[in-house]
Amino acid sequence: MEALFQAMLGGLVLGLIYVAIAVGLTIIFGTLRLVNFAHGAFYAIGAYVGLVIAQHIGVGWAFVAAPIAVALFAVLLDRLVLRSFYDKEPTAQLLVTFGIALVVEETLRLIFGATTQQYRMPEALQGSVTLGPITYPAYRLLFAAGVIVMLALVWLFIERTNYGLIVRAGIRDRIMVQLLGGNIRQASTIVFALGAAIAGLVGAAATPIYSIDPATGFAFLVPSFVVVVVGGLGSFWGAVLGGLLIGELQSLTNLAYAPASNVVIYLCMALVLLLRPQGLLGESEVIRQ
Amino acid sequence: MTTSSETAPVAPARPGLLAADARFAVLCALGIAVFPFLLHPLGGYSTLATQIAIVSIASIGFNLLLGYAGSLSYGHAMFYGGGGYLAAILLLRVSPQHPNLWLCVIGATVGAAILAIVVGAVTVRLYGIYFALLTLAFAQMVYFIVEQAKDWTNGDDGLQALPNALLPMGPWNIDLTTHLPSIDLGPFGNLGELRLWYIFAGICLLLVLMLSRMLTRSQFGEVLGAIRENEQRSTLIGFNASAYRLAAFAISGALTGFSGALRGMFDGSVPVDSLSIDRSGSFVIYTIVGGVQTLFGPVAGTAVIMFLENVLSARTPAWRLIEGLIFVGVIVFLPRGLSTVLKQQRDKSPRGLFVRSLRLSTEEPDPLLKPSGEGHKGGPMSIIETFKLGKLFGRFAAVRDVDFRVDPGELRAVIGPNGAGKTTFFNLLSGTIAPSSGTVNYKGRDVSRTSGTARVHLGIAKAFQTASLYPDQTVRQNCRLAALARVQGSFALQVFRRSMRLDDVDNLAERAMSRLELTGVADTRAGDLSHGDKKRLDIAIALATQPQILLLDEPVAGMSKDEARKTEALIRKLSTEMTVLVIEHDMEMVMGISDSITVLHQGTVLATGTPAEIRDNPRVIEAYLGGHSEAELTHG
Repeated sequence: MEALFQAMLGGLVLGLIYVAIAVGLTIIFGTLRLVNFAHGAFYAIGAYVGLVIAQHIGVGWAFVAAPIAVALFAVLLDRLVLRSFYDKEPTAQLLVTFGIALVVEETLRLIFGATTQQYRMPEALQGSVTLGPITYPAYRLLFAAGVIVMLALVWLFIERTNYGLIVRAGIRDRIMVQLLGGNIRQASTIVFALGAAIAGLVGAAATPIYSIDPATGFAFLVPSFVVVVVGGLGSFWGAVLGGLLIGELQSLTNLAYAPASNVVIYLCMALVLLLRPQGLLGESEVIRQ
Repeated sequence: MTTSSETAPVAPARPGLLAADARFAVLCALGIAVFPFLLHPLGGYSTLATQIAIVSIASIGFNLLLGYAGSLSYGHAMFYGGGGYLAAILLLRVSPQHPNLWLCVIGATVGAAILAIVVGAVTVRLYGIYFALLTLAFAQMVYFIVEQAKDWTNGDDGLQALPNALLPMGPWNIDLTTHLPSIDLGPFGNLGELRLWYIFAGICLLLVLMLSRMLTRSQFGEVLGAIRENEQRSTLIGFNASAYRLAAFAISGALTGFSGALRGMFDGSVPVDSLSIDRSGSFVIYTIVGGVQTLFGPVAGTAVIMFLENVLSARTPAWRLIEGLIFVGVIVFLPRGLSTVLKQQRDKSPRGLFVRSLRLSTEEPDPLLKPSGEGHKGGPMSIIETFKLGKLFGRFAAVRDVDFRVDPGELRAVIGPNGAGKTTFFNLLSGTIAPSSGTVNYKGRDVSRTSGTARVHLGIAKAFQTASLYPDQTVRQNCRLAALARVQGSFALQVFRRSMRLDDVDNLAERAMSRLELTGVADTRAGDLSHGDKKRLDIAIALATQPQILLLDEPVAGMSKDEARKTEALIRKLSTEMTVLVIEHDMEMVMGISDSITVLHQGTVLATGTPAEIRDNPRVIEAYLGGHSEAELTHG
């Protein structure tokens, strides 16, 4: 019973990471119609920036520097390379972002080596909290709470700001939004940077829990794409539902029959694609391209 | 045939074609024969040369799917690794005493093809990221199964130290590990460094190259290309897009499995890595770097990357970074790949230099355009009829309880204000969407659940509101594709023949063009046509499928007055030979050409009658014009 609770809490933490990455993917797709295979790279860059800052300056600064650095990188990438791929077919976008992911991963490997690394939290956060029958590391709970707060802020951004309006409208009808013209260019940049910053911040914050190596970005990216597909491309709540579902599924399968934990999410995705191709909370109007 | 001198470059006679094939084969064979010796001064790896020849086969298979069917698979490792494992298991389990290479390799190829058909059956309906992710998902499942089936596959360690399989050829059992006779070739090394394996792999590669060339130039390749260019149009001229995709996926998977099996047999081991995501990614890299949609691109890409990897990976830890930079660089700066730098991309020669005699086009009756069953109007049997037809989008009823009947030979206009459900109604008739309720009967037969593609073959064709064409093809080729669908049916694995040879197709296409007065622009790229010509070409495409009922969605929308009148006259002429349904806002045209008119309003039928009846119907005037004068109804 205790193991089950542990697994469920673990699934929640893992699921929230997926949610955070998937929300970034979804809002970027909605606004820019860009299928971004390089999104995992943002996570990895955030994690390494966080690692360096935490080890040399302080953990608090890591949480500030990581999202900013990743957002800057994303804007640069957008301007230099991705911008010319917005109007291309999704396959071309997949290919170029896959290439970028490869380049980032290998650059990180050259700089930081292939070994798994981690930084430790300050003493104050290293304790455990007792929740009924189980004790759980305090930092993990704090992390979960932090991600939930961050997601709430993102939701407010989407629902309550003008930029968010463009995101929502873009998911429905990209062309109409383009016709409205004006600040969509600026909005795209902001949304792209925001999506990247979320991944970077989560990367930095999750490193004390999951540790990091150069391949971690891709390792988190693929399940996050599964989350997006399961939840419904372009749907915020789809990403949330899908992320928690996949996180729990993976964690509980790991408890029941560990070798299957990596394959169960693909089974889940295949089922969803067959039975409800637009995803659990996806709108059928969003064209499957 | 008097035009033979003109047709010669287009449809060369058979001997010439064979000569071209033979020349191609000889040049390829020469290239493959010279390759290891060219590699020698660069570092001299006879093993590498064989591996490149083998892996190139997988890249060619991958390119068939990405380049010609337009689907990016991120799971081809399941076929490559799957082929390797199958071959190794056959080797170890079936006849370990007398390992037979044919058995292992052919068995593995068949196995990979079956896997591809099973996986393809669920994946080919998906596109873009969905297709990529689902293929990746299946590859991960295969990886998982192989890793868990330790008794058969040895789990994470892979199958190592496989016995050497012999190649039975008639009375001989050939040992491919035999070295060639030792002959010194100066700077190009020594012939004796190569094993018989290279010759075997080279012959396999040669055959696969010839197969790939044949496939892409065949009728099958032509239709596959059409589906990639415009799937919506392709299904509505009568091609079964899913079947074509599935066939391409199966062939691609089989070739990749073949390659994986050869590699396993050559290396004498099958690592579990051969099933990994990285492996799948490598085929993407090889093919893109070399050049998609080219015959030699995948081979060139495989050779360049594998060679660089071999040379650089030992010297610098940055090899994978260099590989990634090459890949991104090629995508951004050379989207068509390295191989296109070497030679100027040959212009696709416009297919038709020949213009057929226009004698066919004029007034005489046309035997290829079947007159509709009962020529006289008001016969006992309707050609198309709907009962209580309805379509819901969410909670919105776009079409509700529509009872509709058209007699053979009739020209019926469907009019109504914007949002009345006219286009949805046409989509229900053509089968692009399925009804939520009610039925569609065609010649007394319920076709409500029949696909759009099948309905084209029954004789229902449609021209779109926004012309749906193959913009990169000539006008003639646009019509030929539609005619081809009529002549060959919805699917044909016709890989040996080129469609150019089919006279029926040519005749149908030429006639469709002349009907719509497009013969003058027959060799123009469809994308370069004027708006009016595009709209007429769309009708010509529908016509080339030999329909008995033609659905025209706003055929003159956006045309100038003169063009509209010209098109109107063409439609009127068509209506003498078939049933025509037309949605149109141009009231002058509607009142001028229709035998009868149906008015849709808010998804339901408001009125049906002759133009005069409709013009005087007060409910129509009320609904349609919101109370405007009759003059506006008459003069648009």
